[in-house]
Amino acid sequence: MGSEETTKRATKGTTSRLTGSDGADSAAPDTRPASTYALELNNVEAFYGTFRAVAGVSLKIAPKSVTAFIGPSGCGKSTLLRVLNRMHETLPGTSVKGETLLDGVDLYGPKVDPVRARRLVGMVFQKPNPFPTMSIYENVISGLRLAGVRSKSELEGVAETSLRKAALWDEVKDKLHQPGTSLSGGQQQRLCIARTIAVKPEIVLMDEPCSALDPVATLKVEELVRELAVDYTIVIVTHNMQQASRVSNTTAFFSMNEQRAGYLVEMDATNKIFTNPKEQLTSDYVAGRFG
Amino acid sequence: MTTARTHEMLESGSSRDSRRRVWDRFMRYTALAATIAAIAPLIALIYFVTTRAIPWLDAALFVNNPLDKPSGISNAIFGSLQLTTAAIIAVAPIGILAAIYLNEYASQRLVSWSELVIDVMLGVPSIVVGMFAFMVIVPQLGVSAGSGVVAIGILMLPIVIRTTQEVLRLVPASVREASLALGVPVWKTVTFVVCRTAFSGILTAVILAYSRGLGETAPLLLTVRGTFAQNWFDFGTTMNAMPLTIYSYSGAADSRTIGQAWAAALILMVMALALNIIVRARTVNSRVA
Amino acid sequence: MAFNLTGSRSLLSPDRAFRAIALTAAVVTAATLAIIFVVLVLGSIPALTATALPEFIAANAGPIFGTVATAIIAIAVAGPIGILAAVYLVEFAPKRLAIVLTFVVELIAAIPSVVFGLWALNDLSIRLRDSVEWWVASSIGKFIPFFSEDSGNPAADSVFRAGFLVGIMIIPLVVSLSREIIRAVPISLREGYIGMGATRWETIRQVVLPTARVGIIGALMLALGRALGETIAVTMVIGGSNDVPGSIFQPGSTIATRIATTLPEASEDVKSVLIALGVILFFVSLGLSLAMRLAARQTAKITASVK
Repeated sequence: MGSEETTKRATKGTTSRLTGSDGADSAAPDTRPASTYALELNNVEAFYGTFRAVAGVSLKIAPKSVTAFIGPSGCGKSTLLRVLNRMHETLPGTSVKGETLLDGVDLYGPKVDPVRARRLVGMVFQKPNPFPTMSIYENVISGLRLAGVRSKSELEGVAETSLRKAALWDEVKDKLHQPGTSLSGGQQQRLCIARTIAVKPEIVLMDEPCSALDPVATLKVEELVRELAVDYTIVIVTHNMQQASRVSNTTAFFSMNEQRAGYLVEMDATNKIFTNPKEQLTSDYVAGRFG
Repeated sequence: MTTARTHEMLESGSSRDSRRRVWDRFMRYTALAATIAAIAPLIALIYFVTTRAIPWLDAALFVNNPLDKPSGISNAIFGSLQLTTAAIIAVAPIGILAAIYLNEYASQRLVSWSELVIDVMLGVPSIVVGMFAFMVIVPQLGVSAGSGVVAIGILMLPIVIRTTQEVLRLVPASVREASLALGVPVWKTVTFVVCRTAFSGILTAVILAYSRGLGETAPLLLTVRGTFAQNWFDFGTTMNAMPLTIYSYSGAADSRTIGQAWAAALILMVMALALNIIVRARTVNSRVA
Repeated sequence: MAFNLTGSRSLLSPDRAFRAIALTAAVVTAATLAIIFVVLVLGSIPALTATALPEFIAANAGPIFGTVATAIIAIAVAGPIGILAAVYLVEFAPKRLAIVLTFVVELIAAIPSVVFGLWALNDLSIRLRDSVEWWVASSIGKFIPFFSEDSGNPAADSVFRAGFLVGIMIIPLVVSLSREIIRAVPISLREGYIGMGATRWETIRQVVLPTARVGIIGALMLALGRALGETIAVTMVIGGSNDVPGSIFQPGSTIATRIATTLPEASEDVKSVLIALGVILFFVSLGLSLAMRLAARQTAKITASVK
């Protein structure tokens, strides 16, 4: 993001806080420190009814990095991911405890509207899910339309930028008005990535984005993830350890305790986790001795 | 920088977004209102029929016939039961066997074609079936209970077949394979093993068809016509039925007659609802919400 | 599922016999439909060949108009309510409530139409007269005679009432078909849209319903077919006039009611006309059933394309 945009954002932020609904801040200068972490979790827990699926996770994620969540199946990685974009609560009977801070702001604060929160934290799903009744172009701008962007030039501009960033522009520029589902699996997933980044989220979550793709498409998406990390903070859940070591800067290893709740075992720079982890459990998993 | 945007998005309100939230809630309530609107007529109907019918529910109603004093609708009640029971006895075996053939023996292509045929049969308006019976059966069997049985039977047949087919389909292949592997012949596998497993479902099919048959009026209008006399088991002549009574009494001026129309409606409604509730309540638990 | 295991070799083995019996049953069923088909078509030929189609329609304008008008009114009532109710039951209602309400809605379909007719004659008609009919007649009705009503002497039976009643009767069908179709829309699509910051209703309107649209139209067609065939309830509230009414608040008739009330005593040519009308009704509802199957196949294709 260029410096021009950054300044615009800062001014925008101050102005709206002056005129915003929380009148208490309107006169005071902004003394909140800019958070150095894009995402900070303090003792976050996730429940399905009374069952605790994720137990006391605390971690910090740096901006513009790729963090991989790895671990055997069933240890809450996807659940934790869905806590981060407030999708976990869309299932009935679920609840979340602990503190989830996005750029220092509590994502679950009392004034926070989950609908707005989801615009800041985007998600790419395991199975590509382009909207079948929308064209490729309409798919990409769907998030922007929701945000209220009406100007055709702006929409077209962002669509092209996003599709270029998702390495899909050349393949679809002549068929933007064909249905989103007319693409191959790998292309569909890149389309989903394009529409996710079109709204310029703070964080992009990816839940095993390559597991439904063939090896060629997988490599393309991995390459894309590395490129996107220049502009976005990415958290990717993956079962594939080689993938984690290929795309991420930081890796978090999760496992399951006796009550079948997932917990964070160890989190460190990726090459450290894979060559010289601190925990025995980590090195066992990485060496393929279980999971 | 990014912090500022996050603060703005998460902590201040936006009029556009609150409008979206309001609209979301509004549509939620509108959809709920539609659901209530869908159910309201049922409540109104049950209430209305029950309150109008209750004053007229006396013993004479069930025992006497229209020409007795005091009048009753006994012939209609038992007429309906006879007609529908005769029809189901005739039609259920055909329907079940046909469903068995389609599910256990027929090729995939034939099954697709049969789906079409059954769909068409299910969609034939009951008046058209009545018309057919009037043209073809009545000349043979006369205006009689027999014709009525044929007419209702035609309407009940596709229900039996479709529902039985669905139930048979649910029986897992492993059950058939286990039986065949034990050396049980095909026909015994199908009748004793598969059907026994699917028994409650087949019963459901029969009950649903029966319920439909009880309530049919139009085909009976054209084939049986109704009568004032009591008729026990004579299918060669006219018979009365509850729907016919309701229909012909509905415009009457005399309060006892109208009252009996309500009473008949109540009996018919209670029967139909009871049969359906029994049948559906058993499947609701197994159905995924 | 077909197991083509041949039983024992002898011609009269129990296996062969059983299979033959079952096959006979299936053939009897198909034959019944075929016979109905043939008889009806043959019976209608005299009337259809005697006059050209335009004259035929003109001579029977009353019932044909009534059939079309009641069907349109029925769909206008049942469509929006049924679809919205289905949306509520699938998307908004808490699981337990949804099960109960769905059960209750489906129960409406079990009530015999003659009971509906009796209720409508005495309860619904009065409610309609005092509310909707009065409202429409005194507003649009002042300008458009089609919607007018003789306020001093409102008709006891009318095309409108019949249509409204049929609408109420087919709501359960619309609801149950729409429910299935909406439920078939994959959850992943909903999650994708909500994940981008959409409200529940926005997801329904911009993702779920467009995906389900073809199927829902098919459902409406099937319901329309059912509405066309409704006889006894309509007969009790439509009034039985053979002409095209000046307003929907006047009595009229439909093909089904004409057949039901006049067939038994009809003369030969009238009989043939009625049969011809019945055949038309049959073919129209046939066409609508087929349209519904096509629509269902299309929806399956759309939802399957979400790889």
